[in-house]
Amino acid sequence: MGRYVIRRLIQAIPVLLGATLFIFAIVFALPGDPVEALAGEKRQDPAILAVIREQYHLNDPLLVQYWHYITGIIFEGDFGKTFAGVPVTELLAGKLQVTLNLALVALTLEAIIGVVLGLWAALRRGRATDTAILASTLLLISVPTLVTGFVLQLWLGVWLKQAVGTEIFPIAGATQGLKSYLLPGFVLAGTSIAYLTRLTRTSLVETLRSDYIRTATAKGMSRRRVVGRHGLRNALIPMVTYLGADLGALMGGAVITETIFNLPGIGKQLYDGVYLREQPIVVGIVTILVLVYIVANLIVDMLYAVLDPRIRYE
Amino acid sequence: MRKTSLDTLLAEGGRSNEPLLAVDNLHVEFATRAGLVRAVNGVSYSLNPGETVAVLGESGSGKSVTAQAIMGILDMPPARIPKGEIRFHGTDLLRLSEEARTQVRGQRIAMIFQDALSALNPVFTVGWQISEMFRVHRGMSKRDGMKKAVELMDKVRIPAAKQRVNDYPHQFSGGMRQRIMIAMSIALDPEVLIADEPTTALDVTVQAQIMELLAELQRESNMGMILITHDLGVVADVADKIAVMYGGRIVENATVHEIYKSPAHPYTKGLLESIPRVDLKGQELYAIKGLPPNLLDMPTGCAFHPRCPYRQDNCVTDVPPLHEISGTRNSACHYWREVLDGDQR
Repeated sequence: MGRYVIRRLIQAIPVLLGATLFIFAIVFALPGDPVEALAGEKRQDPAILAVIREQYHLNDPLLVQYWHYITGIIFEGDFGKTFAGVPVTELLAGKLQVTLNLALVALTLEAIIGVVLGLWAALRRGRATDTAILASTLLLISVPTLVTGFVLQLWLGVWLKQAVGTEIFPIAGATQGLKSYLLPGFVLAGTSIAYLTRLTRTSLVETLRSDYIRTATAKGMSRRRVVGRHGLRNALIPMVTYLGADLGALMGGAVITETIFNLPGIGKQLYDGVYLREQPIVVGIVTILVLVYIVANLIVDMLYAVLDPRIRYE
Repeated sequence: MRKTSLDTLLAEGGRSNEPLLAVDNLHVEFATRAGLVRAVNGVSYSLNPGETVAVLGESGSGKSVTAQAIMGILDMPPARIPKGEIRFHGTDLLRLSEEARTQVRGQRIAMIFQDALSALNPVFTVGWQISEMFRVHRGMSKRDGMKKAVELMDKVRIPAAKQRVNDYPHQFSGGMRQRIMIAMSIALDPEVLIADEPTTALDVTVQAQIMELLAELQRESNMGMILITHDLGVVADVADKIAVMYGGRIVENATVHEIYKSPAHPYTKGLLESIPRVDLKGQELYAIKGLPPNLLDMPTGCAFHPRCPYRQDNCVTDVPPLHEISGTRNSACHYWREVLDGDQR
């Protein structure tokens, strides 16, 4: 197992290099001049602009710029500075926390709601409850986050507040602790909840058809034990895999949700970074996201071996 | 109404002169999209302590469905039991509450399945699965349950049981897995053991060992055994009585000796003749002509008539009753006398 983890981590290096180079090149190819974008409407002295360009190596070819960037990260832990002079690491530290909070709230909501609905549907298979749950997941999958975000913001944030007189779900900012994350967390988790519900249902229904479930019944085990212990333990394998891999997707998908709910996370920052063509910020965030994906996938693969004894890594 | 406990019920039944287990005129049907499938149509057989009844028949004959009805592990719906009784010590299991039924299952009547790899749970150790019987039904601690599991694995002769108790099913060979299945089923000394094609998935040498083990365990504990199989070779060695099933009915039941000496039903006769024989090497293997009946569209009269070399006109119209040939023997054939004499037309 240990050797497997090391091998996987070594494999991650070319993935990280490739991903950063790719993003670096895309931002490089964006039209417009970042230095002039920084200056805004105001006309600046070309000499000053030239100095700034020189300072940030903006006149060098792509690969040379990339070389400066990547060696800075590896040898000095320096992800570069923003145009305003703040180190990217410092800028992102606080914002990463916001996004991580959001993703974890979303993941928790997803796990609880998805599993409960999925199990409920599976145990009532073919009946009205099952059909209703399946139909609502289909609805949730079909409507984009952009729509659910604004609609829920209006209904639960604004109208509900007007109806009951107090604010239950804050609609913007991350200043009220866990409360601020509930609504955006749900919006972010929306489609994932629907997918996990369906996956849980299918997985359990499939598992309950297995021969070993019949064996457990023949052993005189109660229905509750047959489903809850023998069935669920097996059905859990694809569910956990999906949940783990989804953590990365949730962090990456936070761009829209954070923008709608004005949460100061890396998603919002990525949006602003692309808007201002601040290469170090964009590449820095993407690097973090790629890392999160790689680590999340590695953890999922480890969990897989823990959950299913038939899988062993050499 | 006062709820009678299972043990009182079973004890009351035990006083009468009932066999250990009696299946009486059992009917099982399945509601499918294509229509009603009558899988079992009036099957009766009985089992006494220490006795082995072999239920013989091809796929779809209803032999496994009957066994699952006895265990109470049919999915209902789609399955339904419109008629019949399954009496255990004289008590009809079909009228017991689900709770009482669960008390019988595994503890009094246990079952071994065909493919032990899929019948054992892949994510729990074999020790966990065997000891579950003791933990759940006997309230034992984990540690004591594991000790019992090792004892049982020793009893079914799994080498190095103590070292292997924490292994998972996929780490064992096919024969060893079936031994684990057996250890699990006999854990609580059941009075009836149903073995549903226990050796079908194994190779021949291992088959013999497993059958030997079952016979030995049966001698020790005097349990009754229902052996479901389509393998006539297995039957001859271990069974006392044979019930041959075809199209959801019993077409012949008799002692092993009677059947092997001279079958009294054309289907049994066909089965016996289709066993490969060394002295007929090089000749074409005998096979019963035609296909097993379609349960959705059963032939009229005797279900076997489209394939039967003894067929007369009344076979197409009249369902043959189970004729009594001797005290131990019945045949559901209008022309059982001709079959018995070997007078083939």
